[in-house]
Amino acid sequence: MTSLVQAWPYVAAFLVGALIPRRQSRFERFSLGLVALLSVAFISSLWPEKAVEAAAEAPSEWPHLLNFIVLLPIVGAVALLFMPRQSPKLLRGVTLTILAVDFIASLLLLRTPMTDGWHFQYVREWLPAFGIRYHVAVDGISIWMVVLSTFITPIAAYASFGSIKKRTKDLCFSLLLLHGAMLGAFVSLDLFLFYVFWELMLVPMVILIGIWGGVEKIKASYKFFLYTMAGSLLMLAAILYMVWTHDQLEGYPSFDYLALSRLVLPKTAAYLCFGAFAVAFLVKVPMFPLHTWLPDAHVQAPTGGSVILAAVLLKLGTYAYIRFCMGMFAGPAYWAAANLAGLAVGGGILYAALVAWKQPDIKKLIAYSSVAHLGFVMLGLFAGTQAGIAGGILQMINHGISTAALFILVGVIYDRRHTRLVSEFGGLAKVMPIYTACFVLVTMSSIGVPGTNGFVGEFMVIMGTFTSPVLGSHAKLQGGLAAFGVILAAVYMLSMVQRTFFGPLSNPKNQHLPDLNVRETVALAPLIAMIFVLGLFPNLFLERINPSVAGVQSRFMSSMAAFRSQHDQDPTRAVMLPRPSGKLGAGYPEDPKKPAESAATASAEEIQ
Amino acid sequence: MNLLFPLSPLLVTGFGALLLMLTEAFGTPRVRAAAGEEVVDAGAGRSGELALGAAVVLLAGAVLSVAVWLAGPAASPELKLLEPWLVFDGVALFMSFVLCLGGAFTALLAGGYLPEHQIDRGEFFPLLILATLGAQVLSASGDLLMLFVGLETMSLAVYAMIGLRRGSARAVEAALKYFLLGSFAAALMLFGGALLYGATGHTDLRGIGQAVASIGQPESTVNAGLVLLGLTLNLVGLAFKVSAVPFHMWTPDAYEGAPTPTTTFMAVAVKTAAFAILMRLLLTSFGDERAMSWGAGWPPVLALLAIVTMTVANLIAGRQESVKRMLAYSSIAHAGYVLIGLVATMRSPIEGQASVMVYLLTYTVSTAGAFGALILCGSRGAEAVSYDDLAGIGRRHPAAALVFTLFLLSLAGMPPTAGFFGKLYIFRAAIDSELYWLTVLGLLNSLVAAYYYLRVIVSMYFREPAPGAPVATPMRSGLVTGALVLAAFLVLAIGLAPATPLAMALGSLTGG
Repeated sequence: MTSLVQAWPYVAAFLVGALIPRRQSRFERFSLGLVALLSVAFISSLWPEKAVEAAAEAPSEWPHLLNFIVLLPIVGAVALLFMPRQSPKLLRGVTLTILAVDFIASLLLLRTPMTDGWHFQYVREWLPAFGIRYHVAVDGISIWMVVLSTFITPIAAYASFGSIKKRTKDLCFSLLLLHGAMLGAFVSLDLFLFYVFWELMLVPMVILIGIWGGVEKIKASYKFFLYTMAGSLLMLAAILYMVWTHDQLEGYPSFDYLALSRLVLPKTAAYLCFGAFAVAFLVKVPMFPLHTWLPDAHVQAPTGGSVILAAVLLKLGTYAYIRFCMGMFAGPAYWAAANLAGLAVGGGILYAALVAWKQPDIKKLIAYSSVAHLGFVMLGLFAGTQAGIAGGILQMINHGISTAALFILVGVIYDRRHTRLVSEFGGLAKVMPIYTACFVLVTMSSIGVPGTNGFVGEFMVIMGTFTSPVLGSHAKLQGGLAAFGVILAAVYMLSMVQRTFFGPLSNPKNQHLPDLNVRETVALAPLIAMIFVLGLFPNLFLERINPSVAGVQSRFMSSMAAFRSQHDQDPTRAVMLPRPSGKLGAGYPEDPKKPAESAATASAEEIQ
Repeated sequence: MNLLFPLSPLLVTGFGALLLMLTEAFGTPRVRAAAGEEVVDAGAGRSGELALGAAVVLLAGAVLSVAVWLAGPAASPELKLLEPWLVFDGVALFMSFVLCLGGAFTALLAGGYLPEHQIDRGEFFPLLILATLGAQVLSASGDLLMLFVGLETMSLAVYAMIGLRRGSARAVEAALKYFLLGSFAAALMLFGGALLYGATGHTDLRGIGQAVASIGQPESTVNAGLVLLGLTLNLVGLAFKVSAVPFHMWTPDAYEGAPTPTTTFMAVAVKTAAFAILMRLLLTSFGDERAMSWGAGWPPVLALLAIVTMTVANLIAGRQESVKRMLAYSSIAHAGYVLIGLVATMRSPIEGQASVMVYLLTYTVSTAGAFGALILCGSRGAEAVSYDDLAGIGRRHPAAALVFTLFLLSLAGMPPTAGFFGKLYIFRAAIDSELYWLTVLGLLNSLVAAYYYLRVIVSMYFREPAPGAPVATPMRSGLVTGALVLAAFLVLAIGLAPATPLAMALGSLTGG
């Protein structure tokens, strides 16, 4: 009985969602109620008091939770192949169910309080002769990336089911596979596993752009594929080099992130490997001047594809930069940070903002605004201070939410008018009041008005930049220019909003546009709710982010110092740092009892 | 005399070929003669059953290879009787498995392809098994004469398999081209072998190796110049067979003109056998410290060959309009990657050889699958050849397009397929041998390659055929489908659980 009473917000949300909409069938009311219930569940599970209580009750972490979250969409995608393509309703239903189950499962992650160290860790040998293990875990950083993807993908799927009617099976398959691969990349702590998921994302995304894209879809999909592949191939070479060095030093190869992050490479090799990793990730971010694939991909991709691309896929680049570049190459990352930060400010925040200002196409404008926003994220990471990194991570979540909402909103008018040119519109506020309200609200969040989510992240990034020791003498200048970038963001977004929504209703084609329908409202509502939750209670997020960021930051500084002292002694030698003790030590690969080669022979003998 | 079991992979294919020939010759044709003509080919119209027979024989060969491997060649001391002519060691057994597998795929594909395109001629299948037998002998030979016998057994059968479609000028051109250039290469090898014999007094590879190793010692009488010339001629001859640039000129024409199952066989089995013997020749006869050094040995030559092969083939493949021709160039490019693995034997012989063996296995399943999918996508009068022919297949025939995509991704080296693991292992071996720039060049080449593989996917899924253009309609054949399902299973299984082939390759080298 008490549990029923405790569940009143969910029941209320369900009732509100089910009863308020008019002219809907019973099934649709039920699903709307379910969506409302899920949103409330998400928001309420963010509150840490609840999480701590729950942890006290059930402190054990189910070790297979991450496997379940990652593998469910992939298995679902394969299962989908065997379903009839003539019944799109079934396919859509199955896809949404899988995504919803995945979302609920990811909420269970939030019940564990996030201290520094790895949670929900699961390790299994995969290919012992190569030192490859199946190793997944989350910390306070990746947990948000997981939750962000499980939150955004169902919305993207739901939104694209509204506008895409042909080849539903291919769509559902690509969405699920992409979802699983992204989640896998966020949680893997083995470089081989990470690389597998990283590459697995490419094909479904290419399919999303290539089948349902615009006129130039084929060019855009080539560009996306080749840019990303070029980066990741260099990364593969660097991974193999690191594994080989590990083999030389320890006598056995290992692809494990935790083992390789203790490796101090010879000087030249360290810089080259850092370069290879950084290019792979900065292409994905994308950072100026490697960003040119992004506007093409966004403009050509369908709404759902753009949402996933902007909200989650790009975060892989920034997340991987924290995890791998800063985690494994602290020395070179420290050395390059000031210059890269200059690039992020000049090329990302300022230049991309100016380019965005001049775009005639709304979607392209948002694409360039993504480059600018991710410039902020990268600036925070380069700054290397606690506030900078935490702000960067918060800004990743913010950008995911507000850009997803913006792309859905652009998709709404594209579905109605089949154009996205600003010049085609004007005075839309008169015919589509609710739509305009939503758009203005999301715009506010995107330009970082206090009270919305964008403000907190950008503020923390700028603050972290000012006080950054990593950026040296330019820190103040870069912080100031970044603050100027916030103003530019307001300029380009507001001028677009003004020309699109206000003024006289000049174009007669716009006179009878219908306002938001139920499907679009449902897709937007959770995002708008999150804008305020993040804007008003950023601490819910920071509380879980901060311990991990503190750990990342102190490890960054200490391994940078180790890198320097090693290279002062002998820049041509590689060494392994000692294993950290305590919680962080958990999950390190055990030394094999025999060197790899005899292990392989042993397994060969076993076969015999 | 317990030689029957360890030799069973060879015996099964040999006797299987004879048996199938008799079955074919004494059966009755299943086609009706046109007016005024007589059906002379007793195997006409019976491709289905003959293909099944050939596939069973070759799969039995593959299974027996694994069985003998598991029992261990060391368990049969009688095998020493055959040395130095036939060296039936772990490597040879592994290669024999790969070759029989490639042959079995070819048989299944031919069983669907030949009747569909009305070149339903029974002699294809005995020839196929004989060619596989030649390839097995070639890869296991430990003597220059045996090598020549194996090479010619394989090549002569393949010449006939190319010219199967007698009415087509292209097929005849392809057969003639391959025949002339192949004979030329064989002659070069024979001449090279004669020079090696003249210089060292040995025809067996190990004896040559001992003589070569003694060069430079005061009591040595070996003429180093003759040895060098002999090695060069042998390298050129084998480079013809693996179609490394600049000895690749025949490949695109021969691959395109031949019936697609023959193309498959040439791309997988002929290449695998040639690489197997190249590896054996280099490591047995020229495996001493100096011959394998960067400064005075063959590695820089092979490295140069690898770079030129990959780069030229990938760049030309990107410009092709015919998918079959693109796959021909891609098979040239893959020869370049294998050469990287061979170069890597320089400093890490075990890793390098194992990587070549694993790569040849993954390459065999993915290439056989890709050609098979191309066969499946076309039918009589509407063969899928160009990119345009494949337009819209992804929508009209999703299953065919899906498997084709899988094999292309494997060829492109995308995880989690077999091709990715093969490439990873090759590049790992290269890094272990500190061949960094070769690795980076190889990886950049995979990027170029990814472009043209992606082009097929783009055609299948993103384009629609132009109005009025002829469209390819997939054929219906249980044999082809079976081959594709088997290949797809292997591509995924090796990609997700590569431990078994890896352990087998390593075990073959470390006395398994």
